Amino acid sequence: MRAYLSVFRLRRRLETQYRGAVVGGFICQVFFGLILIALYRALYAGKPQPIPLSRITSYVWLQQAFFRMLLASDADLMDKIRTGSIAYDLCRPVHLYSFYYVRILAQKSTGSLMRGIPMIILAFLLPEGWNLSLPASLPALLTALAALLLGLTCVTALENITMAFTMRTLDFRGMQALLNLLMMTLSGNILPLTLFPDSWQPVITALPYAQLLDAPIRLYTGEYSPEQAPGILLLQAGWILVLVLAGNWFWRRNQQKLVLQGG
Amino acid sequence: MNTLRLYARSAAMLMKSQLQYPASFLMQTLAQLVMEGGEMMAVILLVDRFDRLNQWGPGDLYFFFGVMSVSFYLTECFGRGVTGAFPGMVRTGQLDTLLLRPRGVLTQVMCSAVDPRRIACIAVGTVSLVLGSSLARIQWTALKVLLLAEIFLCSFWLILGLFMVEAVLCIHSVKSVELANTLTYGGRSACQYPVDIFPRPLRILFTVIAPFALVMHLPASHILGKPLFGWPMWTAFAAPLSGFLVFGMMYLMFQHAMRFYRSTGS
Repeated sequence: MRAYLSVFRLRRRLETQYRGAVVGGFICQVFFGLILIALYRALYAGKPQPIPLSRITSYVWLQQAFFRMLLASDADLMDKIRTGSIAYDLCRPVHLYSFYYVRILAQKSTGSLMRGIPMIILAFLLPEGWNLSLPASLPALLTALAALLLGLTCVTALENITMAFTMRTLDFRGMQALLNLLMMTLSGNILPLTLFPDSWQPVITALPYAQLLDAPIRLYTGEYSPEQAPGILLLQAGWILVLVLAGNWFWRRNQQKLVLQGG
Repeated sequence: MNTLRLYARSAAMLMKSQLQYPASFLMQTLAQLVMEGGEMMAVILLVDRFDRLNQWGPGDLYFFFGVMSVSFYLTECFGRGVTGAFPGMVRTGQLDTLLLRPRGVLTQVMCSAVDPRRIACIAVGTVSLVLGSSLARIQWTALKVLLLAEIFLCSFWLILGLFMVEAVLCIHSVKSVELANTLTYGGRSACQYPVDIFPRPLRILFTVIAPFALVMHLPASHILGKPLFGWPMWTAFAAPLSGFLVFGMMYLMFQHAMRFYRSTGS
């Protein structure tokens, strides 16, 4: 247990080192957020929707704030797989899946907190119609926070599965690009899931990708009422269980028939 | 002319080398196809929900999306040396070898990489153009075809010029400066849609500083028969030339920056 804790701490430190990248990423995210909101405002001006505009703007800002969570982050591990130096990690007396799980968790949580908190403050201060609104209610905020935590564990489990795929195929770029695209589209980053056709909603909200950010955001904005929260948290927990088990199985299989890259 | 022949030969060579691993190439091209298809799906879903965007109908929106998609990925395909490979060259000191050869640095950078996988994105863009053209019932004339060709030509240089902002900053700071790409990638995302839907500050940004509106939207709106800002036809032919202006300015800055280039030595 202590080993995993120190891995977590080390990775957290590493993530806080590149402050220039954080500032750059932050400005980039704000710019994209403003562009998206300008677009949705123009669309709403033409044909108002049953979902109020303020929910859409909040959705956009929260997506931008926690964008780092979705981004595949561990370039280091990719290199290790490609060059074969992952062999060193195999020698460590740790459970490999958990080892990487903790690494990725540390990166994602630290990275998104560092960008997310300033962005949320900034988004609150923007003028009416462009800003992040307050949460629907106190229970909404609390359940949204709980859902966000579950979302974080869920996205980490997903990324571990992507990694396992990478170990299989070696040429990771194709597969990774596909999985990342699924992530960006189905988690609501490119277009809020609430704006997808109504007939698609039951399917897309049940997928694991909707558990990452979409579920917490909908709880925050009041799209889901606090009474619905237990069901949603349960769905998230269910997906986490499935993804962790699947990831574990995948990694074990990989370790059994691993071909290392030499050279 | 000599330079152009040199570029054509190295591009052909690079394409051939990338096709040596067909399975990997196919997989990555497929990924690109799905990626750009996903972007297009977002536009389709928005059209499905909102029907129109100010004065622009579905056909117009697909047409604008297609113009951006084809232009942007043509640049990424043939200008890969500038749009992708350059920061790495500075970081690893690979740029030093280019300084020794009897050709311009920028020519050699352009000759150093192409990205044929982008053909998939260009294909999606073309589908969107055709779809938009038939939905908006565009009456094609020789003049309009010429205008479309001018859009692609000028936006190639515009986008290349914008990517050179990063290259210039990179020469000074060694580290790749992702912030500089806000303008290029942000511009791509925003200017998939006609510029007049945005509030004034963004409109000025995309007209004066990064003139996507002049190079793409103004001529495209004339092709669609709904002139942007009510400007006359001759402006649609003149405005895209600002793409060359941006490239020219960035070219001079690039040459200036190279005087301060210091090798990383590795």
